Amino acid sequence: MAALRDGDFGALQILLKLVSALHNLTRHVVYRGFNRAEDILGLFPESFHQNLKNLLTKIILENVSTWRNEAQASQISLPQLVDLDWRVDIKTSSDSIARMAVPTCLLQLKIQEDAALCGNNPVVSALTVELSKETLDTMLEGLGRIRDQLSAVANK
Amino acid sequence: AADKIRLIPQDFLAELCEQIMQHLNHKIPGINTAELCQRIQTSGVDINIGDLAKIANTLSFLFSTAARNNLSTEELVTTLGSGVSTLPKHAVQVIRHVWNEQGKAIAVSEDAGNMATVGQFVDMKWKLGVAMSSDTCRSLKYPYVTVTLKVADPSGQITDKSFEMTIPQFKNFFRQFKEMASVLETV
Repeated sequence: MAALRDGDFGALQILLKLVSALHNLTRHVVYRGFNRAEDILGLFPESFHQNLKNLLTKIILENVSTWRNEAQASQISLPQLVDLDWRVDIKTSSDSIARMAVPTCLLQLKIQEDAALCGNNPVVSALTVELSKETLDTMLEGLGRIRDQLSAVANK
Repeated sequence: AADKIRLIPQDFLAELCEQIMQHLNHKIPGINTAELCQRIQTSGVDINIGDLAKIANTLSFLFSTAARNNLSTEELVTTLGSGVSTLPKHAVQVIRHVWNEQGKAIAVSEDAGNMATVGQFVDMKWKLGVAMSSDTCRSLKYPYVTVTLKVADPSGQITDKSFEMTIPQFKNFFRQFKEMASVLETV
């Protein structure tokens, strides 16, 4: 087994500083929303090694939209809807009514709590809701209005 | 729950009983426990929503059992006295009054909608927003839809559930509901 040398710890510290510097650089690029080479190149000081600067810029440019999407997905938000399952049933009888034919909807929403709060173990809760034809129509009406608003905003 | 009930001022207790009776009579979709709790707290009473929910549940069970057994006001008060002897006087008074006024009117439910084993959907509120900026992205312009569903749980108490959707998720959400509606039509 190799013995640990003083030089090893020095190297580890430099490595840590390097990773930290890269992290800051990429985070800054995502924050500012840079997607052109000139913007990123302009961040480096004059004395910086030319080839390294170009290589870093190239790699960052390739990844910036992925990083941006990740940032958007993990920003503060209300719980997110992750899944929606549904089923239509017909109630045919019960202890109080012998015969009937009442259609009803069972809806299960899977909602994931704020990703930023849960880290790597997001908590998913299931909400099961029953809807009658009337309440479903209310829901549809509301959703239709959202859709109309979306189109109005998109056309502006 | 009996000792917590003494904390609730008489007029709020009356309001709670009113809502319970209206819910049992299918006049309202659910009991607004959360909103009532907030108003009670604002008036200076230290009660938490868990306790209020338990009290609402107990009262609801009491009234629905009394309805099913066709109890008269006197019979109900006697049952109360024998069961929970620590109920404060003002609570018994409220319960007696509410039952006297409205107890007869509760029909033992013949309605298909009463078989609540899951939450019943009450209402939906929505908001369309655009996230402009965040600590990770200075210029976001990220549209999203926020929805709050009001659901009456099997005991009748209304809770809110809020969540967000991206625009593609919303479109899928809408599509699923349209499909549900068309299945309901044809069934």
